[in-house]
Amino acid sequence: MNMNSLFVRHREARSAVAIHLSLRHPKNGLPRSLRSFAMTGLIVSLFLLPLPTNAANPVITEVTSASGVKAWLVQDSKLPLIALRFAFRGGVETDPADKQGLAVLTTTMMMQGAGAYDDSAFQERLAASSIAMEISAGRDYVAGEVKTLSRKKEEAFHLLALVLTQPRFDQTVLDRVRGQQQTAVTAQLAKPAWQARYALYTHLFGAHPYGYRSLGTVASLNKITREDMVSFTQSRFARDTLFVSVVGDITPDELRTRLDQLFGALPEKAKTQDIAPVTLPEKPMSVLTKREGTQTNIIFAAPTLMRRDPDWYAAEIANYILGGGGFIARLMKAVRAREGLTYGIATGLAPTEKTSLLMGGFDVDNGKAAEALALVKRVWQDFYAKGVSEDEVQAAKDYLIGSAPLSLTSTDAIADALLSMQTQELGIDYLDRRDALYRTVTREDVSRVITQYFAPSALSFSFVGKPDGVTTDKVQDLVKE
Amino acid sequence: MKKTLGVLCVWAALSSPTTAHAAVFYPESATLANGLQVVVIQNKLSPAAVQMVWYKVGAADDPQGRGGLAHFFEHMMFKGTAALPDGAYSEQIAAQGGDDNAFTSHDYTSYHEIVAADRLPLVMQMEADRMRGLILDDEKASSELSVVKSERQQRIDNHPQGLFGEKFRAALFPAHPYGRPVIGSKEDLDRLTPADARAFYQKHYAPQNAILVVSGNVEFADVLRLAAATFGRVEGNTAITDRAPIQQNTPSSRGASDRIEMQDARVTQPMVMASVPAPSLNTNLRRSYALEVLAEILGGGEVGLLYRHFVTDQKIASSASVSYDPTARGPSSFSWSAVPSASTETRALEKQIKEWLAQKASTGIDAATVARAKQRLQDAAIFARDRLAAPAQIVGEALAVGIPLNELESWPQRIHSVTAAEVNAAFRDVMKSQGWVTGILEPAK
Repeated sequence: MNMNSLFVRHREARSAVAIHLSLRHPKNGLPRSLRSFAMTGLIVSLFLLPLPTNAANPVITEVTSASGVKAWLVQDSKLPLIALRFAFRGGVETDPADKQGLAVLTTTMMMQGAGAYDDSAFQERLAASSIAMEISAGRDYVAGEVKTLSRKKEEAFHLLALVLTQPRFDQTVLDRVRGQQQTAVTAQLAKPAWQARYALYTHLFGAHPYGYRSLGTVASLNKITREDMVSFTQSRFARDTLFVSVVGDITPDELRTRLDQLFGALPEKAKTQDIAPVTLPEKPMSVLTKREGTQTNIIFAAPTLMRRDPDWYAAEIANYILGGGGFIARLMKAVRAREGLTYGIATGLAPTEKTSLLMGGFDVDNGKAAEALALVKRVWQDFYAKGVSEDEVQAAKDYLIGSAPLSLTSTDAIADALLSMQTQELGIDYLDRRDALYRTVTREDVSRVITQYFAPSALSFSFVGKPDGVTTDKVQDLVKE
Repeated sequence: MKKTLGVLCVWAALSSPTTAHAAVFYPESATLANGLQVVVIQNKLSPAAVQMVWYKVGAADDPQGRGGLAHFFEHMMFKGTAALPDGAYSEQIAAQGGDDNAFTSHDYTSYHEIVAADRLPLVMQMEADRMRGLILDDEKASSELSVVKSERQQRIDNHPQGLFGEKFRAALFPAHPYGRPVIGSKEDLDRLTPADARAFYQKHYAPQNAILVVSGNVEFADVLRLAAATFGRVEGNTAITDRAPIQQNTPSSRGASDRIEMQDARVTQPMVMASVPAPSLNTNLRRSYALEVLAEILGGGEVGLLYRHFVTDQKIASSASVSYDPTARGPSSFSWSAVPSASTETRALEKQIKEWLAQKASTGIDAATVARAKQRLQDAAIFARDRLAAPAQIVGEALAVGIPLNELESWPQRIHSVTAAEVNAAFRDVMKSQGWVTGILEPAK
C-alpha cells in the first residue's frame, strides 16, 4: 500500500526508523559498496547475463533522426509509459584535478532550472506531470534518464530539451547545491566502505583521474564556478558522443522527431579530452585505515581483462564459481555457510573504459578477521592451483544464461540494457548471441583465465577497522576531509 | 486473455486526467482446502515470474527474551529438507538462472524467488516442501546463529546510525513489540537455541498461516492448478488459530525518553529527526489515507513543502524529508528528518522545523496543493505496474498485515476521495499527538 514510498522517486525518507527489515543475505554479485567503480551511470552487471532460448528477446530497432541522431528502440505499448535513457562519453574522469566534483555538481545543477524556469519552477513542472528525470555523472559517462506517462510526453520532452540546451546554473542555486554536495562529501567520510574504496583506488590509480573523488572535496567544490559548468556542458554534450535508448509506448516515426527535438540542437562534435591510459601498479599492496568499531570492512582487487577481451565470458564463469555466485560460490560456502564468519562475501568483475578490476569484499568481526582472511586466501589459492570442475562450469553457465531475461523486467531495466549494449559496443544482436557466447566456453578456457587473472598473489587489500592479527604494508588514519 | 483486455481498457481510462476509478494490480485470488491463500498478478511485460510466500509471523511475535527468533528462523529455512539437503535449494534455483532471498519484518516473514515463468512449478514445489518439511539440525543452527550475530554487527553494532536507530525505535514504541529490533538484541541472540527454532516452526509455519503470491507471465488457472498439486499437499496444522490482534500502542507507559541524543566520533555529519506513533490502515483507515497524502505534500521530493522551505528557500538544511508507511498490523509512525547546512546549528534547525510544522498545521494546506499531491500518488500506481517483483511485494505485504485485496485495489479511489479538510485534520492531530520522540545524531565534540 505504500506505493508512494516504493515508487515515487527522490524520496529521501530513509530515516533510522526504516531499519526494520532483515534480509537473509546481501544481494548477489558485486557488493553494493563496490558497484560505484563499475557505475558508469549504466547498469553494467546486467550484461553478465544472457538470455535462454525459450524466451523471446525484446525486438530492438535502430532509429535515426533527420539530423543523424541514432537511438535503439523497443516499442511496447502494454503500459502507457515511455522510458528514455541517454549517455555522453566523458564523466568524472574529465574533472580537472583541482576541481574534482565538477561533473557531479554540473549534472545535479542541470536539474535545478532551465530556460524560463528557475529551480523551484522546474521541479514543480516535473512533479505536476509525475515526470521522473535525472542526470548523473559516472566514471566514464554522463547519463540521463526520463520516465513519463504517455499522456505527459509533450511536457517531458520539452523539459528535457531545455535541460540539455538551456541549463540556467543560477548563482544563488549554485551556492545552495554546492553546499549540499559538500554535506554529502562530509557524510561520505563516515562510511567505512567509502574509506576502504578510496584507500584502494589511491593505491591502484595514483594521480590518474580514475582515482579522483567523484563528489570532490569541500575545498575543490569551492573552486568551481558557473563558467566551469557552462563550459562543461558546451564542450561535452554533442551528437558524436551520444548514445540513446528508448523503451515503451512510442513509435519509430515519433521517436525520429523527438530525437531531433531533444538532441538536434547540440553541436555535432564534442571537444573531447584524452584521458591517459591506466597503468596499474606491478606489485599489490595492503593498507589498513584505522577505525573504531566491532567489525572490519575488507575489500580487495586485482587487475583483470577488459570487457572486449574474447575471454571475458570465461572470466565471468570463473568469477561466478569463486565468488560471484551467491550461495553457490566457493567463498560464500566456506566463509559463511560452513564457518559462519561473515554475513556475506562476494566478488565481481568491474570493467570500465580504461581498465578492468576483479574486486570483492566482506565484513568480519575484528577478532575473527585474521581467521577469515586466511580462509579466503586458502579458498582462493585452491581455486587458482587446482582449477574448476566440469560441473561447476556447467552450473555457472546455467545461471549466467538462464538469468538474463529475468533482469529485463521493466521498461527502465530494458532501456538500461540497451544503453550498455551501445556503450560497450556489443552489437544490436547481442541479446540473440550472448547465450552462445557463454555456452561455447570450455573448461580449458576457464582454466586459462584463472591462471592468467586469478592469482591470489595479485590481490591488493584495503582494511577499514581494527582487525586483530592482521599486518599490512601501510597503516593510515581515516580521510578527514 | 480476457483479463489482458480488461487491463488495457482500464489503463486507457486511467490515461485521462480524471483518474478516480481505476484499480491497481488486478489480482485474482482463491483459497486452497488446507487454508493457503493463492494470489496471482498477471504481468506480460517479461518472460519471468516472481513467487513470494508470506508467513503471518514476524519479530513482533518473538517470545519475551527471545528477540530475533523470527529472523533467525528465516535463515534456517534454507538449511534443507529430506528432499532437498542443505545448499541444494539455492543450487536448484541458480541452475534455472533464478535468484532467491527472504526478509523478516515485525509483522511478517517473506521468501521469494524469481525464475523464468515456465520454471514456476519447480520453485512452488520447493517452497511447499519446506513449509513443513524442514530438518532443523543443531550443528547447522549454531553455525547459522553466528552468521546472524555477524549480520547484527555489520548492520547495527558497527555503525552509530544502526545503534541510534535501535535506541530511537525503542523510545518511539517503549511498551510495544515494534520497539524491539527485528534482528534481536545481543543478549537475546545469545539465548537462542535450536529448540527455539523447532518450536517456532511448529507453531507458525503451515498453509493456513501463509499467503502465496505469484506475479508474472502466468495464467491464474495454471497457477491455481500447480498450487493445488504442490502446496495443496501440505497438511494444515489445526493447532494454528487466527492471529490474535496485535496490541495497541500506549505511549510512554514505561517512562521512555522523548529525546535521544547521541554523539559519536565516527559521525561526520549531524542529523535531526522526530517521529510519533500514528494510525496505520489497520488502526484507522480514513485517517491513514489522509496521512499518506500529507506525507506526499510535506515530503514528496524536492517539491515537498518541508524541503522547499528549509532547503530550497531558507537554505538552512541540506536535506529534509518526511515519511509515513501506512502498512502495519498495529500502529505506524509519522516522521521527519533533516540534515543542517554547514552554517546552521542542529538544534536551531530542529526548533525552526518544529515551529514551522506547528504553524503550517494551524494555518492548513490549501486545496490546490492537496489536489496536486493526490494526482502524483495516483500516477504512482501506474508506474507501479512497470515492475515484476514490486506488485507481489505490495500485495503480499498488505495481505500479511490484514488489508484485504479489494481495499488495496481501491487505493487510487481512496486517495482520490481524501479531502483537504481530512488532510488538515490529520495534520493538526499528528502534530499534537502524544509520544513524539526527537533524535539527534552528531559528531563527538
